[in-house]
Amino acid sequence: MGMEQAWLLPAIPVALFVVVALFGRFLPREGDWLVIAGMAATVVVGLAIILDFQGYFEGGAFAPAGENHYAFEWAAIADVLAIDFSTYVDSITVVMIAVVTVVALMVMIYSVGYMHGEARYGWYFALLSFFTAAMLLLVVSGNLLQLYLAWEAVGLASYLLIGFYWERQSAAEAAKKAFITTRVGDVGLLIGIILLWRASGTFEIQEIIALAQSGGFDETYLTVSMLFLFAGAAGKSAQFPLHVWLPDAMEGPTPVSALIHAATMVVAGVYLVARMLPVFDTVLVARDVVLYVGLLTALMAATMGLVASDIKRVLAYSTVSQLGFMFVALGAGAVTAAMFHLFTHAFFKSLLFLGSGSVIHATGRQHVEQLGGLWSKMPVTGWTFLVGSLALAGLAPLAGFWSKDEILYASLSEGGAVVYVTLGATAALTALYTTRLVLLTFFGRPRDAQAHDHAHESPAVMTLPLLTLAALSLVAGVVAFDGVGELLGFAGGIGYLVFTDTAHAFEFHPDIAAAATASSLLAIAVGLAYWRGAAERAERARAWAPELHRLFVERYYIDHLYQGVIDRVVLGLGGVVAWVDDRIVNRTGVDGGAQGVGYAGLRLKFLQTGRIPNYALAMALGIVTLALVAFGAS
Amino acid sequence: MIPLENFLLLSAVLFAIGFYGVLARRSAILILMSVELMLAAVSINLVAFAAYLDADGLTGMIFAIFVITIAAAEVGLALGIVLRLYRERRTANVDAADELRW
Repeated sequence: MGMEQAWLLPAIPVALFVVVALFGRFLPREGDWLVIAGMAATVVVGLAIILDFQGYFEGGAFAPAGENHYAFEWAAIADVLAIDFSTYVDSITVVMIAVVTVVALMVMIYSVGYMHGEARYGWYFALLSFFTAAMLLLVVSGNLLQLYLAWEAVGLASYLLIGFYWERQSAAEAAKKAFITTRVGDVGLLIGIILLWRASGTFEIQEIIALAQSGGFDETYLTVSMLFLFAGAAGKSAQFPLHVWLPDAMEGPTPVSALIHAATMVVAGVYLVARMLPVFDTVLVARDVVLYVGLLTALMAATMGLVASDIKRVLAYSTVSQLGFMFVALGAGAVTAAMFHLFTHAFFKSLLFLGSGSVIHATGRQHVEQLGGLWSKMPVTGWTFLVGSLALAGLAPLAGFWSKDEILYASLSEGGAVVYVTLGATAALTALYTTRLVLLTFFGRPRDAQAHDHAHESPAVMTLPLLTLAALSLVAGVVAFDGVGELLGFAGGIGYLVFTDTAHAFEFHPDIAAAATASSLLAIAVGLAYWRGAAERAERARAWAPELHRLFVERYYIDHLYQGVIDRVVLGLGGVVAWVDDRIVNRTGVDGGAQGVGYAGLRLKFLQTGRIPNYALAMALGIVTLALVAFGAS
Repeated sequence: MIPLENFLLLSAVLFAIGFYGVLARRSAILILMSVELMLAAVSINLVAFAAYLDADGLTGMIFAIFVITIAAAEVGLALGIVLRLYRERRTANVDAADELRW
């Protein structure tokens, strides 16, 4: 088994989705074991594909000679369009397969504990399976149309899972917001795909890349196409200005946030841009847009995460911010750094989400104002959460340190000093809000005594995934080293695996690492000073710059702006359309026509005399007229 | 031999008289009689054409017999209606029966 069986990756979970969704209520435990077993099988298939993939490395270069691409005809319009259903495996795919399958398995196991006793338990697992299938289809897609199909399918799964507690008004609205906001980007993606197809006549990603590299596109045209494509990526990956849906998406069950809104679906945008990066490399204007959008998002989201009080929302802002980091790396052309960070981030961020889920599960609270002092009550959750937080803050030797270093280096060498300093400051902010989150959740005085008293460590089915992910967060960063890569059977570290032009060995940048570590440590120290112990100091920090605090809390008023635009412009236009429909189409056109006929009948009926001779005369005149016409014509 | 035109002329005159009767008379009985005249005119037409233009065939003749049969049935039905009208209104004037307008 190998790369030609890549279709199995989406096939197994989608089959189990059908089985569990239809027959789950007849199965013991509503079929959760079936979904988990299927996911384990998918992990094995993924592993086999990765092992097979290694066989095509020669001298540090990936030389598959076409064996990694399988296609069969899906739909065809003769001479116009031929769409294949294809699987394509390369190094980017391999990274995604590893991330998606492992995190999905962990989240599913964890969900057994977290979702225990919830209504629609089987449906929840069916949806997880459906999501995983769609996500895996997305990453093995060889052509853009198939990718778009999977893209919308993950959006659908995300919508259904965010709105899983649809009895709650806020959850239903969050699901709607996520669906509609990402749809705005998806329209851009579709336009981009159509534009690329119009100029190249193909949906195949590799053919488009080859054509772009040989200069087969008009440059302006290609720039516009890639910007549309990036709009889709920005929507899915919650980048400014389409980032507003992700914090609200936290209304879904916490394991869902860990899977979809931390590790997999939200990195689909990063994946798409990474996949198309050779094309972006030919139109640097579009690539710069990616860089600056990522930079702005990273900074904005970090400041918002600094003041959010919902533990999951802090993590959501953190995710948005880290995705911004990845886009900065892509904008700097460093696909290695972006995919590396995607890889490490998936582990420590899903760990953090699952850890926050453990806290919520134990206390029933998720606002940091109501938490605190949980460290001794929940040691496993606390320690693993700390590991995830330090990885997020980017301290050596945890996973986040290595990938952040790569990104910072790329931003300095490609983006320049301003980008580097901004990104470095954002990294420091990351350390600051992470410190705040850990301190307010696990340390200090318990602010809700009742919740604190009832808190207890989560069952093993939840702590085991936490420990596994914590271990991965500790060590995932070492894949950067060539020795580790060789040990795993690759040609070298991640620099030999994911690259655009040439493979390169991992370089450690002591100066950048020292600056980053120093700023992170400083931020942690500031955080410790501010949020340690009583909350009054935090109040003082708030009082120090109330306008700034308000700006962050109100999320830069972007949500207000959108709401205002929707209320005034969209609903205003809707009102005009409704008025036209009601008054002109309905009352004038439809009702008016009927009433006109009725009125005409009311008046014209008096033409009827009811006297037979009149009708006979009219008939006779009619016949004579017809006769005259007939004779006149002949 | 009598030329065909004479028959057609007779038929046309008869039809016109019948038609005038239908339009001008108010008595239902007279209108029915006028209708019978028009039918007779048509029958003459059919028989004349059959005799002159289609010597071997019988189509026209048979058609004329059909017309006579239908006319007999029609008169039977119509006289029944007129009888009911007379019993209701004590008159056979068709102007008296103008309720079916609005």
